[in-house]
Amino acid sequence: MTRAESIALALSLLGEGDIVVAADGAISREAYRALDRARTFYMLGSMGQVASIALGLAMTRPERIVALDGDGNLLMGFGGLAMVGGLKPANLYHLVLDNGCYATTGGQPALSRMVDLAAAATGAGYKWARRCLSGGDARAAIESWLAARGPALLDLEVTGEDPEPAPRVPMTPEEMATRARAALAVR
Amino acid sequence: MSVSRRLDALLEAGIGFVAGVPCSYLKKLFAGCAELPAGFFLPAVREDHAVAACAGAWLGGRRALAAMQNSGLGYCLEVLTSLHLMYRIPLPMVVSDRGAPTDYEEHRILGQSTRGLLDLFGIPWREAQPGGHEAESRWLIEASEHERTPAVLLVGKEADV
Repeated sequence: MTRAESIALALSLLGEGDIVVAADGAISREAYRALDRARTFYMLGSMGQVASIALGLAMTRPERIVALDGDGNLLMGFGGLAMVGGLKPANLYHLVLDNGCYATTGGQPALSRMVDLAAAATGAGYKWARRCLSGGDARAAIESWLAARGPALLDLEVTGEDPEPAPRVPMTPEEMATRARAALAVR
Repeated sequence: MSVSRRLDALLEAGIGFVAGVPCSYLKKLFAGCAELPAGFFLPAVREDHAVAACAGAWLGGRRALAAMQNSGLGYCLEVLTSLHLMYRIPLPMVVSDRGAPTDYEEHRILGQSTRGLLDLFGIPWREAQPGGHEAESRWLIEASEHERTPAVLLVGKEADV
C-alpha cells in the first residue's frame, strides 16, 4: 500500500472529533487531498516536530490526537519520542508512514531500515507499539492501533510513490493555524 | 503562590502551559513549574521540542510559554522561523541571559549574540528588571499576541526570583 493510500485509509477510520497533526512534505499534501478537515493541522516545515506538536495538543485537549509522521521525520526529532513515552498521554496516537527513505527530497535512504522504531517507542514508554510490514494487513493494523491504549505507535511500512503527486495545500500558513485553532475552540 | 514570583506573575497574566529545558539562571521558575498540576508543564528534552509543543498547546487553546537557556535558541531557530513566525503563532518566551564576559566560555558566543539574533529575525525582546515581574509578564503576552509572534523576556542571574 502506498503512503497516500495508507493516509487515506487511516483518515477514513478516525472520528470527526479527532485532531490530526500532519507532517511536513508529502504527508500533509496527501492528507489534504485525501480528506481535508478543519481539525487537521498541516505542517510545512519544522521537520521532526510532529510528535512534539501532537504532545502539546494531547496535554491540553481531551480528544484523540493523531500524529501522521514519517520515518525520517521521526528520526530527526527522536527526542519527541522520549517526551511522549515519558509523559504517556493516553490520547496520543502516533502513525509512522514508513517508506525507509526521504521521499520528499528524492528518495535518499533513511536509517529507519536499521532502527526498530516500534521497539524504540516501547523503550521510551509508549503503552503500545507495533510494526506492520508492507505485505501485512494495513487496515487490521490501523484498527488495532486505534483500539489500543495510548500512547500508541504504529510503524506502518508503505511502498512506492503515488503516480499523481499531491499538490500543495492551498492555504497560507496563517490560515492553516487560524483555522485549526478556531475549529478546536468549538467543542 | 509558587516558589517563583516570576511564574506566579506569568500565570496571573494568563499563561496556561509551560514547556522548557532548565537553566541554572531559571532555577526558581523551573521549581515552580514542577509543582504545577498535570497537563500544565512539559519538561522538554531539547528546546526545539519545547517550542513545538507550545505551538500544539496554543492550537489547543492555551497561552503557552517556553522557558530555556539562551544557548537553546540555536536549537529553536528552525522551529521559530518555519512554525511560529511563518504560521504567526504567538509564543511568549522566558530566556536566560547568559554570556557576560565574566561567564564561562561555553556561554559566551551565543550569549553575546542573543540580542542580535533576535533582532535579525524581528523577534521583540526585553530585559527583566528588578521588581518588574507583573508588567513584564503582561508585556510578554501582549507583544506575542498582538503581532502573533515569538517574544522574549531575557532574564539575568539576579532576576530569577
